[in-house]
Amino acid sequence: MYTLFADTDCDMTPKLAKEHGFKLISMPYSIDGKTIYPYEDFEEFKSKEFYDMLRGGVTPTTSAIGIDKYKAYFEPEFAAGNDILYVHFSKAMSMTFGNMDAAVKDLLEKYPDRKFYAIDTRCISIGGLNIALEIGDMRNEGKTAEQIVEWAKTGIYKFATYYFADDLKFFKRSGRVGGITATMGTLLGVRPIIYMNADGKMVSIGKERGRVKALERLLAYVDELGEDIDKHRVFIAHADSGDFAEEFISMLTAKYGDKLDIHCLLLNPTAGSHCGPNSMGVCFHAKHR
Amino acid sequence: METERLNGNLFANMMRGGSLNIRQNRSIVNDLNVFPIPDGDTGDNMYMTVEAGCNAACLEHSDSLESVSASAAHGMLLGARGNSGVILSRIFAGIAEGFKGCPNADVKSLGAAFERGVSHAYGAVSVPIEGTILTVYKDAVRYANSLVTEDSTLHQYFNNFTLELRRSLERTPELLAVLKEAGVVDSGGAGFVYIIEGMKNVLDGVDTPFEEHTASGTSHKTVDTSSFNENSVMTFGYCTEFLLQLQSSKVDIDSFDIADFSNYLNSIGDSVVVFLDGSIVKVHVHTMTPGVVLGFGQAYGEYLTVKIENMTLQHNDVTIQNRFSPPKIERKRAFGIVAVACGAGIKQTFTDLGASYVVEGGQCMNPSAEDFIRAFDEVNAETIFVLPNNGNILLTARQAAELYDKSDIRVIPSRTIGDGYAALSMYDDASGDADQIEALAIGSMEGVVTGEISRAIRDSSSNGLHVSAGEYIGIARGKIHCAKPDRTSAVADLCQLLDAGSRDVMILVRGSDAPVEEAEQLCADLGAQYKRTEVILLDGGQAVYDYIIIFE
Repeated sequence: MYTLFADTDCDMTPKLAKEHGFKLISMPYSIDGKTIYPYEDFEEFKSKEFYDMLRGGVTPTTSAIGIDKYKAYFEPEFAAGNDILYVHFSKAMSMTFGNMDAAVKDLLEKYPDRKFYAIDTRCISIGGLNIALEIGDMRNEGKTAEQIVEWAKTGIYKFATYYFADDLKFFKRSGRVGGITATMGTLLGVRPIIYMNADGKMVSIGKERGRVKALERLLAYVDELGEDIDKHRVFIAHADSGDFAEEFISMLTAKYGDKLDIHCLLLNPTAGSHCGPNSMGVCFHAKHR
Repeated sequence: METERLNGNLFANMMRGGSLNIRQNRSIVNDLNVFPIPDGDTGDNMYMTVEAGCNAACLEHSDSLESVSASAAHGMLLGARGNSGVILSRIFAGIAEGFKGCPNADVKSLGAAFERGVSHAYGAVSVPIEGTILTVYKDAVRYANSLVTEDSTLHQYFNNFTLELRRSLERTPELLAVLKEAGVVDSGGAGFVYIIEGMKNVLDGVDTPFEEHTASGTSHKTVDTSSFNENSVMTFGYCTEFLLQLQSSKVDIDSFDIADFSNYLNSIGDSVVVFLDGSIVKVHVHTMTPGVVLGFGQAYGEYLTVKIENMTLQHNDVTIQNRFSPPKIERKRAFGIVAVACGAGIKQTFTDLGASYVVEGGQCMNPSAEDFIRAFDEVNAETIFVLPNNGNILLTARQAAELYDKSDIRVIPSRTIGDGYAALSMYDDASGDADQIEALAIGSMEGVVTGEISRAIRDSSSNGLHVSAGEYIGIARGKIHCAKPDRTSAVADLCQLLDAGSRDVMILVRGSDAPVEEAEQLCADLGAQYKRTEVILLDGGQAVYDYIIIFE
């Protein structure tokens, strides 16, 4: 028996976690020195309020959770005799996993019969969510934790995430995106195109002027890299830019008909702190990232 | 006395006369603008171009026509501003080529050298347009040359030359519809006529009235005084200009001999130009001892104005620095961008977008080839991409590129601020391949349209549209599209005419004359009207154009 864990950085919400049988780890962000744990410090993510605050000039920071906090999440499962499979956001993007490793080490000494499995999705946001839900399905089909870990060795690279941002100041400050050069300062309608690479890092791979060209470019990636996209979920996330998302969904529908299983959601505030308001992205099953 | 041969001194003095005359008349030339808005600058450009040549010629310590004309041409090539300035510099470069090997020239050689100027100038532009300075000059050369005989004098040649210049200038509206519609003659052609008439005045000994340097209209660049220090050697003397009011207490004004006065100045200086206007003596002289000159002059009267400039300083500043500056020690970077812009907001945006150096300039203030060269030195990159961002600056940028050999200079033909913005915003040198980067920049400009809103200063009729003075007109792709009594409806009209609804992005660049609140409201209104178009407001701070609108 093993318990699935996922985190809010992967856009997992309490509702989704309940539906798909996950326990949820809240990854915090800070504003003006105040640390906020999504869905622990609030029940519902008020995205408009949050992204409007960012539009108004507030730049949140993200922070790691401590060893004790990890223990508080994991220990009850071990104590109840359950193993843990934690599907988490990209290790390459946060220092938090050092604390997790330390917590797990302590706990495994205390509960030597228990097992802890971690799957680094090498993604954040919808990329991580898509993989997590895929894993939830596998668990429901009766797959063991070991089988899932084995699948993940190649499986995670089959989920490609491409998105565009609207304002680079968030990236520049957080330093989380590679390839963003000095020539990308003022955007004025120019949108950097970013993807999650196989190392679990966000990398800028160009830019497009204007919304339409940016959306077309995302669609071109789906077209070019997509593999069995109708057999897996397609996730779209937006940072309070629902009209972009709607436009993109209608572009997808025009291209693929209604056979796609499209889910649209709000980009979680912690990831949103990195890429800023009006970002929009898509995650789909692909030949490669 | 008939002057039979043209020597270096006379040529330099004639150039000075040409410069004085265009300086005096430059506003008239500026106003010969096909658009009824205050953005004409041909007169300023031509004056500054010929002045650069003049300064270089006067610094040439030789009486050889070959050396003086070559120096003048080089100075003009560097000092060229605007398309007319570039063509003017090419005319003089051709003339100088024609004077190669000539310590002086008779009328026949002069005619041949002038003919050389024609081919040189036509070669400077990829598609020569008739009805411009090119035609005016060519017509006059052909006419004057056809009348040259064994007995022709320089005076006769210049008489014929200027006669046909004027006639050809009057014909320019017949050749160029845009001039006819606007009811003006070609401004570059007109500027050229003033220059040649000023040159002829010197030849004829006729007074070219000249005003003080500080007159409005043209901003003189500040001279960098750091180039002359405690160890510098005074090499080039002082350019000394003054207006001397003869005093009856000191001299019998009626019998004052201007020739004696001039002879004395020639004995202690050169490049002497002296005119007597009533009881005022106007003097231009280059001398190592301005004190002696002033002491001498004061024996006859008192000074109305005096201007003395250290020419070693000017020379260091203008000429030597560029040709003989030591190579920069720090290593060159691979790529750099030089962009032209004016308006604090636009300049800042271009810097933010990655321009390594922003040359101040635009419609009303065209940078010189030398300004570009300075920028190239500053950027110090293996390959430099240049964004002139104005159709009238493109040729100057190309001329600067030709004159510069320390880097691979690539001029991206951006003709508007919108072109420049598009090229710069999509600039990406990650490939490391200059050809690819250049192609990307050029490709990025496709489909970008720039519209401008400015206030008409006179009535006019263009493109079948009547414009009354005081109305706001919308200009795009070289045409006036609309005229409205207020700014906002002019913007709204232009947006509609340029099919704003089909555009992806629209950037409204607010000029210094448009109020912030108005711009913000306009931006909100346009956003509501054109729902699919992203409307972005930018505080450009530019003069003349109340709004620039970039459609993508």
